[in-house]
Amino acid sequence: MSVHLDHIFESPLRGLSHEGDISIHDLTNRHRWGLRGQGAAEALRIQGWDLPEQPNRLVASINQSFVMALSQREFWVLDPHNDAADLAMGNDFTTDAYPLFCQSSHAWLVLKGSETSALMAKLCSVDLRPDAFNLGDVAQTQMALINCIVVRHDLAGDDVFSIFVDQSYAEYALEALLDARQEFL
Amino acid sequence: MKIMTCPLNGPRNISEFVYGGQVKAMPDHQNVSDTDWAHHVFYEKNDVGIVLEWWMHSPSSFWFIAERHNATDEIIRTYPADQLFKQRVDFVANEGES
Repeated sequence: MSVHLDHIFESPLRGLSHEGDISIHDLTNRHRWGLRGQGAAEALRIQGWDLPEQPNRLVASINQSFVMALSQREFWVLDPHNDAADLAMGNDFTTDAYPLFCQSSHAWLVLKGSETSALMAKLCSVDLRPDAFNLGDVAQTQMALINCIVVRHDLAGDDVFSIFVDQSYAEYALEALLDARQEFL
Repeated sequence: MKIMTCPLNGPRNISEFVYGGQVKAMPDHQNVSDTDWAHHVFYEKNDVGIVLEWWMHSPSSFWFIAERHNATDEIIRTYPADQLFKQRVDFVANEGES
């Protein structure tokens, strides 16, 4: 069995928050991991995780974590309340599944505030207004011309957008969000 | 902006998609001649009409098949690749080959 290690990736955004009517928080240094493969859903169920019933949905699960389904065969477990740790995962699942290291591959930004949909409308072509994009909905799309995953969910009582972009685009994505936010300050 | 419907993600701007070539039947890779294999890899039909094509939704890396009219550029329908390809093809080298 081979074991792969996902080291902690220091966020170039340094975990900072940008406060305001719309606040932007860097959660890149929070814990997350994923599984891929035909048997990924079964492997997670065996471990006791609750899973979304369809792709592009997110559900709250055990340990205050979320499970996000990006397809029938790809799942991310998001833990916004705990810091990232070196993560070792092997291919020792009883089902056809293999680890996915989204902790070091993607930056994680959270948008909070009452006008976040209006802000996102400036950057993203998908309709993210609450009547079209429900709590728990996931959109794999583009924001400011880069690939991203946008999720609407509840975080400690707040209705927020979580945005995942490739780590190498973290600073660019934050800059685009800060620029778009100016008219809402 | 032209819209394409991804079978996994729904309608999205065409700029989110990447073209992946025509869908072609693959010859038996164990027995095909080099010429026929090269033909399969490098040549595509150039008929006018409805063609089957590979497309990928880039933000989700989801590959699927689209039926498109290559003169009018109308996308007739899109569907997941597993509707056409039911079985995995393993490329095992013949004995003596490396």
